[in-house]
Amino acid sequence: MKKRYLVGTIILVLVVGYLFYLSLGSSVSYYVTVSEFFFKGTELYDTNVRVAGKIADSPIEWNADDLKLRFTITEGGDNMTVIYQGAKPTGFKISSSILVEGKYHSDGVFRASQLIMKCPSKYEPEE
Amino acid sequence: MTEIGHIALIIAFLVAVFSAVASVIGVRVNSRRLVASARIGVLAVSGLFTLALAIILYAFVTKDFSLRIVAEHASQDLPAIYTLSALYADKAGSMFFWGWLISLFTAMLSLQKNNYYQKIKPYALSILTIVEIFFIALVTFVVNVFEKLPSPPVDGWGLNPLLQNFGMLVHPPLLYLGFAGFAVVFALVIAALITCSPSSEWNIGVRDWAIFAWCALGIGNLVGMWWSYNELGWGGYWAWDPVENAGLMPWLLGTAFLHSIVMRRQRNYLQTWSYYLIIFVIAFTLLSPFITHGGIESPLHGFYGSPFPPYILAAILIAVIGSLWLLYIRRQYLEGEQRPASYISREGAFLLTNIILAFLVFIIFTGTVLPKVIEALGGTRIVIDRSFFDRTCGPIMLVLVFLMGACPLLGWGKSAWHSMKRNLLYTLLATMVIAIVILLSGIGNWYAAAAIICGFPLVTICLDWYRGTRARHRTSKKNYIRAFFSLLNSNRARYGGFLAHIGIILIALGIIASSFYDIEKTVTLNIDESMNIGEYKLTYNELTLKQDKTKVSAIASMSVSQNGRLTGVMHPSYDYWFRHKTHFAEVAVRTTPAEDLFISLVWTSYDPEDKSATFRVLVNPLVVWIWVGGGFFLLGGVVAFSSREKQPARVEG
Repeated sequence: MKKRYLVGTIILVLVVGYLFYLSLGSSVSYYVTVSEFFFKGTELYDTNVRVAGKIADSPIEWNADDLKLRFTITEGGDNMTVIYQGAKPTGFKISSSILVEGKYHSDGVFRASQLIMKCPSKYEPEE
Repeated sequence: MTEIGHIALIIAFLVAVFSAVASVIGVRVNSRRLVASARIGVLAVSGLFTLALAIILYAFVTKDFSLRIVAEHASQDLPAIYTLSALYADKAGSMFFWGWLISLFTAMLSLQKNNYYQKIKPYALSILTIVEIFFIALVTFVVNVFEKLPSPPVDGWGLNPLLQNFGMLVHPPLLYLGFAGFAVVFALVIAALITCSPSSEWNIGVRDWAIFAWCALGIGNLVGMWWSYNELGWGGYWAWDPVENAGLMPWLLGTAFLHSIVMRRQRNYLQTWSYYLIIFVIAFTLLSPFITHGGIESPLHGFYGSPFPPYILAAILIAVIGSLWLLYIRRQYLEGEQRPASYISREGAFLLTNIILAFLVFIIFTGTVLPKVIEALGGTRIVIDRSFFDRTCGPIMLVLVFLMGACPLLGWGKSAWHSMKRNLLYTLLATMVIAIVILLSGIGNWYAAAAIICGFPLVTICLDWYRGTRARHRTSKKNYIRAFFSLLNSNRARYGGFLAHIGIILIALGIIASSFYDIEKTVTLNIDESMNIGEYKLTYNELTLKQDKTKVSAIASMSVSQNGRLTGVMHPSYDYWFRHKTHFAEVAVRTTPAEDLFISLVWTSYDPEDKSATFRVLVNPLVVWIWVGGGFFLLGGVVAFSSREKQPARVEG
């Protein structure tokens, strides 16, 4: 009986381990803030990263015809221009915290595949 | 007025300390008076907690902005119904509400008259009171839920519009009902371990509380999904966000626990295992606030600036280490455990279900905490995106669905494989026929794929019911409908379980279909322009602006025709909330059994001259079956909960 348990457990561990191995590699990306990103120089260029920042107080361009959103995020004194194919997510406004996922290219623009708003459960009134 | 609430909580704290000590000492020295006074203390704590809750709710309703919690989460224009949402939108408010539920359940337990667990009750009450002390301390001494503001504002900050929704009104309390219910189960099981009571004395009582907690937690998670789907406007319902995982993991472990206590009652298997499970259920219900209070970063939701995580982590460690230590010193008292004679049998299926559920939780847990652990160890910060969970958990969940189908075919004991072969053949055949018919009828390929996976367990369960009903019809001469109900009534625990399985299978069906076969389009349209998606043609007819005190809404009219026939007009809207200075989309969903047409208005300029607007449109197949499945799940839980067996059952096929 003990043997069967052992064999079953080993099979399960192998299967799960394999699933882990298959999945983890392509699902992991670096998570940095805007200033951390630039601090690393060109190391994170052209790789999939998640960057945290705040939407900067600079023009937010939205082209409804080709569905292109262009804005700037800021953190720790550094700014990053982001282009996203799609509309503004809910809660998108100047000084909101946002996470952008995608790749930064050497032309100085971050092309986001996904925008995630950090959705606080309370809104602080503006000073 | 609010000072009374604060004082009530302090008194409750002191009384709880007394009760926790008196209950145990009373039993040890055999003093009935001490035990009785501890019980009165338990009731008093519950009463004081309720008084404090009433005072907070009164402050919310009367908009008393001198209270921090009211000022930060309510406003003059907040509808009274969302008072509760505002309460649990607060870090201290949510823990306060949870603690109140535990105090209520503790009082209920002390008043429960049945003899299932008279001997273990004083210990269970003591454990629960210690839990209450923890909660009261958090909301009184760590953060004062009745904190006053030095200068009260004229108006509050207001509640996040996303939370002003029916789903968010009931989602948190359902989760807390589940968490608090599992706290009672945990207390009873640990009390039984302390007193070395044989499980026949408390199994049924524990099972009732466990079914209740499990059902509330499951429905709570589903309501959260429903809210996410209808309110967040992204077209999905599950993102594997840490806070979502936080609600799912205790439920999965609770599911394993329920299955393990069925096994120990029926067959005396999995006894030690079920002790481990309930310990980890409790650890995971505490992990949930650890995550939502910022212990692990979640973009979806978080109580900002909450000081609770270190305390919660300490509580988790104390609960787990203390319980495991107790389990260790009680190891020789654990009843002799049997092992299944054959693994291709119903007990084998139960065993496998338990192992798979535990593995599933292990994977989700790893994916959720790994980034945090790596960061804490000084490594780089990483994120694990949802594709990891989809790829690892998806196939494992399909195995569970298959097991739900195999279970009714399997008998208890050794001869199971023999009788199963024929059954299996029939049902697989029937499933294939259904799939082929669907495929040929041309409704769509995805239905065939989903039908093959989910049809098998549905067919086996229906077949099992059909056979049972036919047997009853023959022996009792009742008509088929009455025979069917008398069958369900004959073993409510078993048939309630099957109903819950049907619910889960339908949910799986909806999830499979809508994750693999959805279509999505985002387009900008001018008035009278149209777009096509799937079988639908949407024409943008009109945009009307409507303004009230809180927001201005741009409401679009879109006429929908399916295969050339006009089927209706939908009204997605795009709202600008003045207080929050941002936009929120109110989605429009047209639901049919086959698919949902989901329209979210994601941009318009509010310029009366320029009515062009951007729409995000999705066709999500079979989504409605997720919610229908939730209904079956709830029904199954209620049926199983209503079963009242006086004797511990033994062996019923």
